[in-house]
Amino acid sequence: MEPRTYDPQSPDLAGGTAVLSGRGLVKRYGAQYALAGIDIDIRRGDAVAIVGPSGSGKTSLLHVLAGILRADDGEIFLAGQRIDQLNEKKRSELRRTEFGFVFQSGMLVAELTAEENVALPMLLGGASRKEAVAAGRQWLARLGLAGKETRRPGELSGGEAQRVAIARALTHRPKVIFADEPTGALDTRTGRDTMDALLGAAAESGAAVIVVTHDRELAESMPRTVSIRDGLIATRLAA
Amino acid sequence: MNALQLALRVLRRDRRTRTSAILTGMGVAIATGLVLLLISLPFATKARAERSQWQEITYSAREQSAKLLISTSEDFVDGKKITRIDVAPVAGAAGIALPAGVPKFPAPGETWVSPELGKLVHSKPESQLADRFTPNLAGALGSDALKFPEQLVALVGHTPEDMPSDALPAPAFTHGDARVDGLLQLLAGVGVVVLVVPSLVLVASAARLTAARRERRLAAIRLAGATPGQVTNMVAAETALSAIVGALAGLVLSPALHRLATFVPWDGGTWQASDFSLPIPLTITLVVAMPVLVLLAAVLGLRRVFATPLGAAAGHTKKPLHWWRLLALPVAGAVFLFAIVQANTGGDSSGFLLLFGLALLVGSAALVGPWVTSAVGGLFVKVWRKPAGLLAGRRLRDDPKGAYRASAGVVLAVFAGSMALTLMPSLESMAGGGRAFQDSVLYVESDPANAAKIAQQTDAALTKYGEPARSTVVRQVGLRVAEGSGHSNYSALVMDCATAVRLTRFNVGTCDAKPGIYSSYSLDLGKASVVSYYKTGDEPGTPLAPGVPLHLLSKADADVVGSLLIDPSALPAGLVTSPEERVTVAVPSTDGNRETVRTALGGAAGGAQVYSRELRLGNQQSELGDLRRVTVIGLLAAAVLAGCSAAVATAGSVMDRRRTFGALIAAGTPVKVLARALRVEAALPALVATIGAGVVGILVGIGLFSLVDDQGITMSPWILAPVVLGVGVALLAASVCTPALNRVRAEPLAEE
Repeated sequence: MEPRTYDPQSPDLAGGTAVLSGRGLVKRYGAQYALAGIDIDIRRGDAVAIVGPSGSGKTSLLHVLAGILRADDGEIFLAGQRIDQLNEKKRSELRRTEFGFVFQSGMLVAELTAEENVALPMLLGGASRKEAVAAGRQWLARLGLAGKETRRPGELSGGEAQRVAIARALTHRPKVIFADEPTGALDTRTGRDTMDALLGAAAESGAAVIVVTHDRELAESMPRTVSIRDGLIATRLAA
Repeated sequence: MNALQLALRVLRRDRRTRTSAILTGMGVAIATGLVLLLISLPFATKARAERSQWQEITYSAREQSAKLLISTSEDFVDGKKITRIDVAPVAGAAGIALPAGVPKFPAPGETWVSPELGKLVHSKPESQLADRFTPNLAGALGSDALKFPEQLVALVGHTPEDMPSDALPAPAFTHGDARVDGLLQLLAGVGVVVLVVPSLVLVASAARLTAARRERRLAAIRLAGATPGQVTNMVAAETALSAIVGALAGLVLSPALHRLATFVPWDGGTWQASDFSLPIPLTITLVVAMPVLVLLAAVLGLRRVFATPLGAAAGHTKKPLHWWRLLALPVAGAVFLFAIVQANTGGDSSGFLLLFGLALLVGSAALVGPWVTSAVGGLFVKVWRKPAGLLAGRRLRDDPKGAYRASAGVVLAVFAGSMALTLMPSLESMAGGGRAFQDSVLYVESDPANAAKIAQQTDAALTKYGEPARSTVVRQVGLRVAEGSGHSNYSALVMDCATAVRLTRFNVGTCDAKPGIYSSYSLDLGKASVVSYYKTGDEPGTPLAPGVPLHLLSKADADVVGSLLIDPSALPAGLVTSPEERVTVAVPSTDGNRETVRTALGGAAGGAQVYSRELRLGNQQSELGDLRRVTVIGLLAAAVLAGCSAAVATAGSVMDRRRTFGALIAAGTPVKVLARALRVEAALPALVATIGAGVVGILVGIGLFSLVDDQGITMSPWILAPVVLGVGVALLAASVCTPALNRVRAEPLAEE
C-alpha cells in the first residue's frame, strides 16, 4: 500500500477543535483502493471542498465519513467520539440526527410537497406534524422559497429543488452537511446561487459543510479545499 | 443491430430486465397452463359422459326397434354409488353392438363388474353385496366403459322374462355425443376469470419492474430519431422473448397440471388423464393467443413514449382521476339487478344478460378501485401523523392506478370468494327434503300386486342372513278435503302410530290417543274423503267414517311437510284399492346391518332402486362437497397468484423509487420506517378494495341465490374469510418490501 499522506491544513485532533475527523481511512473495491489511508479533520463551521478527477475517491471519502460506507481500515471521530465501529442502526441514527445530506439532483421524494420533503427528517426523528411542517416552512422561507411550500419537486426548477434539498439537510440542525456534487445538474449561475444559499444557511446554523465537486471554480470559492488523487490527499493544496 | 439482437443484449446485460423477463415468462406460463386446464374441463366432462353413456337409457331409444331390454338403477354400498345396468337380449346377443370397455354381452346369470366393485365384492360377505347380483361374476369391465377409474358398475345379464319390471326395450346401448356438465362448464368460465386475471396482473406487475427504466431507454432511442415502428419492434422483441417462452413453458407444464387435476374428485370420482385432452387446433389457438395478448398490452403501453418522448424521459404529472369513475359500480349493479329480475321472471336472454352484468361488475372494479385508492390516499394526506402515513398517503394519491394494480388480483379473488361463500351455506341450507321416513330406513317403491311378494322375500332373506329386522308394507293414499267450490289433496301414509314411531320422522308422541289421522295441518275431517290413487286429483273419494279423530302434529323436523298419517283402522271401509296405488316396502336398518338389509331388499325387488333419505342427503352433500372443493382450490390458487403479483408489484414499486429510497436511507431513514410506509401503502387500498369487493361479492351472491330459491339467505361467519384472507395476502405480499429495501440499503447511492 502507498504511504499515508496528511491534510497539512488539518488541525490537531487532540486539540479538540475538529467536529469530524478521519484517521488512516482505507476503502477497497476488490483489489482497487478508493481510499488509500487518508487523514482529514473538519472543524465546526468549516466549509471544505473535496476535489479531484473522476474515480479519485472523493465520493468514497464523503460516504465513508458520513457512515454510508464502512471503511476497511481507519478511524472516524465525531466531536471526539469514535463512530466507525457503530452498528448500522446507530450509524443510521447518527446520519439522521447529526448529519445532513444534499445530493446532485436533490433526490427529493417525488410524491411529497416541498414543505413535506423538508419536514421529513424531523418527522423521522419523532417531531410532531405541526412542529416539523412549521420548521419546514421556516427553512423554505429562509431559502427564498416562500409561497412554493405545496409544490411537488416536479413543479420546481432545478435550483429551487436543490434549495429544498438544502432546507431538508438543515432543518434538524445537523453538525455536518455532506453535499455530493450539489450543483452538478445546474447551470453556472444557479449553481453559484445554490452554493451561496447552502453556505449561508450552514454558517447561520453553525454546521460544517463538506462538498464533493469536480467544479474547480466552485471549489476555489470555498474557504478550504482538499484535493484527492488515487485515493490519497494530494500534497499541494489550494489555499 | 436488429430489434431481437438488441433485446437479447439488454437481457444479457441487465439483471433487473432478466428478473422481469423471468417473472413475465412465469406469469404467462401459469396463465397458459391454467387456461389450457380450465378450457379442457367441459371437454373432460364430455369425455367422461361419452364413456359412461351406455349406462343410461335415452328416451329416443325406446321408439326404435328393440334388440335388448335394459334397466338402470342406482345401488349403494358403504355410501358409495353402484351404477347397475340390467340387460337381456330380445333375440340373441349377436347383433348388439358393445360399448367400448365391455368385453361381452352378459349371458343370463352373468355379471360383469368394474375393477373397484370387483374388489368390494370379494372383500365383503355375500350377504352384504355379492347376493345383489347374479351368481356368476364373469369378469371385469375395462376403463373405457367407466365414467372414472374408481366407478362402481355392475352389468347384470338376464333372460327377458326375469328382467326388472321397469325395463325398457332399446335398439342398442346409448352412444354418440354426450352433453357436458353445465355446472362444471360454468365454474370453468368463472375460473378462467378468477385465475387468469391474477396471472395477467402478475405479468403486468413483472413488466412494471422495468417499465421506468425501459421508458427512459426507449425515450432516448426515440429522441435519437428511431421511428415509432422501430421502437414498437424493440418492445415487441423484448416482450415476445419472455411471453413465447412462457406460453411454451405453460404448454409443457400443462400435462403435469392435468395430471394434478385428475386427483380432484367431481361427481363421484376422479378422472382419467386422457379426459383433459384438448383438440389440437384449440390448443394452438390458446397457446398463440396468450403471448399475443401480452404483446398487445406491451405495445399499447408505449403510447406515452410515442406521444411525448421528452415527457416520458423527464417524468410526468399524473392527472387526477374523475369522479365519474364511481358511476361504473352503480351502473354495473343496475344492469346486474335488471338481469336478476329478468332471470327471475323468465326473460328470454336472461342468461346472457346475467353474464354481461357480472362481467360489468368485475370490470367496474378497474375504474372504481383506483378512484377509491386515490380517495383513501387523500384522506391519509389530510390526517397523517407519522411519516409512514404521509409517504403512503401521498403515494396512493399520486399513483392510484399503480397502487391499485398491486391489489387487483386480490380484489377479484375476494369478490369471487365472497360470492361463493354467500351461495354455499345457502345452497347447503336447501339440502334435505325427501320422504318422511327416518334417514336410516331403506325402502323400495312398488305396487299393490308386488309389494307383499317383495316384503315376503325380503324377510326370508333377512332370516337367512340372521338379521332380526323385518319389512313393513306402507300404502300411500290420497286425502281430499272439500274447500269452498274446490278441494285440497293431501298425500297420506297408511300406518299405525307405533309403526310411525319406528319408521318415520313424524312427531306422533306416545301413541296413547285413539287411532285416527295425524296431520300438521288443521283439517275439517267432516269434509274429507280418501282415494287409493289419484291421477288428476278429481277422482271421487270414499268419505271418512264419522268420528275419526284428528291429531295435530308438532313440527319436529322442518323437512317433514305435505304428508299425513292415516291409521289403517281409520280408512273408510269401502275404499277400493287401485292397481296403481303407490306402495312402499320399508325396512329400518342400523349402521351394522345396512348393507345386508340393502342386499335383502334389493334382491327381493329384482334390481329396483333401493332408496333411503340418508343416501339422498349423502348425494346432496357429495354435490356440495364437489362445489366446495373446486371453490376452495380455485380461491387458494387465485390467492397465491394474487399474492405473487402483489409481491412483484411491491418489489417493483421499491425498484421504481430506488434512488429516492436510497437517498432517504443514506440520510439515516430507518429501513423499518420505509418498510412500514410501503406496507401501509400496499395494505390500505387492499383493505378498502377487499372490503368493497367482499360487499359486492355478497350482494351478487344474494342476487344469484334468488334465482335458485326465494328463501332468505343463510349467512355464516366464514363469509368474512375472503376479506381477511385478501388483506392477509396483500400484507404478506407487501412484506417483500423489507428484503427489497435491504438490498437498497447495501448500496444506497449506487446507480440503478
